[in-house]
Amino acid sequence: MNSLLSRPRALTRAATAALAVSAVLATAACASSPSNERPGESNGSGGGLGTAELTIAVAAPPASLDPAQLAEGEQAFIWASVFDTLLAVDQENEIQPNAAESYEYSDDLRTLTLTLRDDLTFTNGDPVTAEDVVGTLERTRTTPSPQQPKLAKVSSIEATDERTVVVNLSEPDPGLLSYFAQATGVIGDPETLDEESSTLRPVGSGPYTLADATVDGSEYVLERRDDHWNAEAYPFKTFTVRVIQDRTAAFNALQAGEIDAGRIQPQQRPQVEGAGLTVHEQEAISSLLIILADRGGELAPPLADLRVRQAINMAFDREQFVETLFQGVGAPTVQPFNPSEAAYNEDLEGTYDFDPEAARELLADAGYEDGFSLTMPSTVISQSFEPVVTQALADIGITIQWEPVPPQNTASSLASKQYPAALWFMGLNVPAREVADLYAPTGFLNPFNYEDPELTELFSSIANEADEAAQAELYQELNAFSVENALNAPIAYIGGLWATTEDVDFIPEVSVLPTVRNFGVVEG
Amino acid sequence: MTLYVLRRLGAGLVLALLVTLITFLLLSPSFESVVRERLGPTATPETIAGMMTELGFDRPILVQYFDWLGGVFTGDFGRSLFTSQPVAPAVAARLGVTLSLVVTALLITVVISVALGVWAASRGGVADKISQILSLVGYIVPGLLLAIVLVVVLAVNLKLLPAGGFTPFSEDPARWAASIAMPVIVLVIGGVANMAAQVRGTMIDELRKDYVRTLRTRGVSTTSIVIRHALRNAAGPALTVLSLEFIQMLGGALIIENVFALPGYGQYAFNAALQGDIPIILGITAFGVILVVVVNLVTDVVNGWLNPKARIY
Repeated sequence: MNSLLSRPRALTRAATAALAVSAVLATAACASSPSNERPGESNGSGGGLGTAELTIAVAAPPASLDPAQLAEGEQAFIWASVFDTLLAVDQENEIQPNAAESYEYSDDLRTLTLTLRDDLTFTNGDPVTAEDVVGTLERTRTTPSPQQPKLAKVSSIEATDERTVVVNLSEPDPGLLSYFAQATGVIGDPETLDEESSTLRPVGSGPYTLADATVDGSEYVLERRDDHWNAEAYPFKTFTVRVIQDRTAAFNALQAGEIDAGRIQPQQRPQVEGAGLTVHEQEAISSLLIILADRGGELAPPLADLRVRQAINMAFDREQFVETLFQGVGAPTVQPFNPSEAAYNEDLEGTYDFDPEAARELLADAGYEDGFSLTMPSTVISQSFEPVVTQALADIGITIQWEPVPPQNTASSLASKQYPAALWFMGLNVPAREVADLYAPTGFLNPFNYEDPELTELFSSIANEADEAAQAELYQELNAFSVENALNAPIAYIGGLWATTEDVDFIPEVSVLPTVRNFGVVEG
Repeated sequence: MTLYVLRRLGAGLVLALLVTLITFLLLSPSFESVVRERLGPTATPETIAGMMTELGFDRPILVQYFDWLGGVFTGDFGRSLFTSQPVAPAVAARLGVTLSLVVTALLITVVISVALGVWAASRGGVADKISQILSLVGYIVPGLLLAIVLVVVLAVNLKLLPAGGFTPFSEDPARWAASIAMPVIVLVIGGVANMAAQVRGTMIDELRKDYVRTLRTRGVSTTSIVIRHALRNAAGPALTVLSLEFIQMLGGALIIENVFALPGYGQYAFNAALQGDIPIILGITAFGVILVVVVNLVTDVVNGWLNPKARIY
């Protein structure tokens, strides 16, 4: 497993170094005059704009396209095409300038100044001004919505001139830049945002616009705006996203040549390759873990004991898990953090090797030689893993009772504090977002609001650290703390497989936000 | 008769009201979970409360229901909680996909079943055996399996038909026909198995009746006896089976829609139920109840026209 993860990691380090240099150069250039060197521009095919077409399949239609209501995940294929985000996450998971050509934090990290490019236009022809950014963000900040909590630390937003946006924070927020590089950072047109039509046909300044051929809920046809500032980075003239819920149906459409790219299941791989399609592997897109939410022992007193939590961590034969459940598409892990990001620490792997005997001893030391039982929600997430998890934990004396939860109650089963533990997927992201979700007192994956003085201290050091390298070290420290204290029981990174036709390329490294930028044209 | 139709429609309306009210009451305990699901992992108690207020879920249940009902009478079924699509056009579009499947399939089913049933009943012998075997085979073969085989053979291997998706009739009739061909075949085979046997049975009963013998003695031709007299009398029960078949096809469309990636009514209803998309669920329920009521009403009226004895108005 180490080889699996260390390979891209080594690559990433080299690339990060190269990028740091180019980022410095880019910012320097921005200061004097608008630069022609844009990150990722080399994606375009030579001089002129590409004329290729691309059709992909996704499993579910997007939620509302109102900027405040956007959801991340596969839906980003559509909204990230329609809107420009202020910043962007590049293929090395680094934050880069985008619609904002530069950004700068004040020394106390409480003021973020963004300077917009001067060539942004909305689909209706109006130029994008700092007022538009302020209008969009201000509306998101005050509308109950999925994006609203991400601006919780923002105290005010102002436009100081046509192109400068100043964001004032009540306290430093290490996640803010990544929010601005994802759904929170889209720029809408404040004049039309409150119209009902903007939930389906928003006015944006992005590289694509929704064509009339779009059928809401089943087929989204995106036409490239050739006058977009970054049009050259988008080789596809038309990008169609079809909603095909059934995996077999999507696979059939791929084989029949009706779509150019789609996700496949590991067991479909031989068939797909046999059909002459190319399979691309994403090594880690999410992690599977048991959230040991009740670390304080409110509902399940045994979980308050470190030895019990460590025993749970030692109950899983993780390699076996990855082989049998994910057909090898993934990697075993004891840490839930994105393996291509700063918080990941390879040395932590091996902290909890599979050892049921030692686990039973730990339980006995903690006073549970006869074991105990634990209730967990049986959700759409957990169902296919329940038998193996039950078995693994039964081997060390822990009896799991799965309580069925209807699909629409999945999120609330975790948030309601009804269950001391839950089997969960966590989408991989940048460390700031991962740590906030997992260990901040208000984090979604920390429903019992667990706090620890050392954690609190680390959180505040991270927030107040301006230097990226020093911050990375702090993230590693926080990660080590969480693994050593067995705050959760991570099991594996789960990868993903994309199948494409031979003339479409897939760039698997872009894992934070799936967009049309994941695809390229195979030059032939 | 007008009075009868109006009375039946009125009763249908009351039924629709009751069914939607019950649906609403059954959904009401999960309103907060649905809002949380909508807000995603970053939801805080404040945003949840804010959205509950914005959507009006914090009001008394009956007030919410009557508010929804008031909207319905002005043609406003609300908007999807998740996609923000207006419910009425969204459901209508989905229903259009499913109905174009089901209605086409039913028409073909009727033609084939009547031909097969009449042939079997009037000829007997080998013809009867063949028709019975066909019915039996059609009955045994699972629709899902047949659907998958059709896709693999006709779409994936031979590339004769699209593997999935739907093209509206108004856009391109030829592509429309191609897009519904396979699902229609699957539905027709299941439907014929049911109906041909029904037509055959009632036709045999009819042809044995005294009036048929009387007609024969008067020198009326066999064709005329079968088509004008016996079939008309046998059509009543067959029509009832047909209406049941229609309702069953609407329900069974979900599986077919999934296999053929058709953006239809069944799939939409299923997803809405999984997500707890309350306005969509209510809209689908209302449309569904009205559709069933209308189909049953049409069946009864046509039955009365076919057979004055069966008139209930």
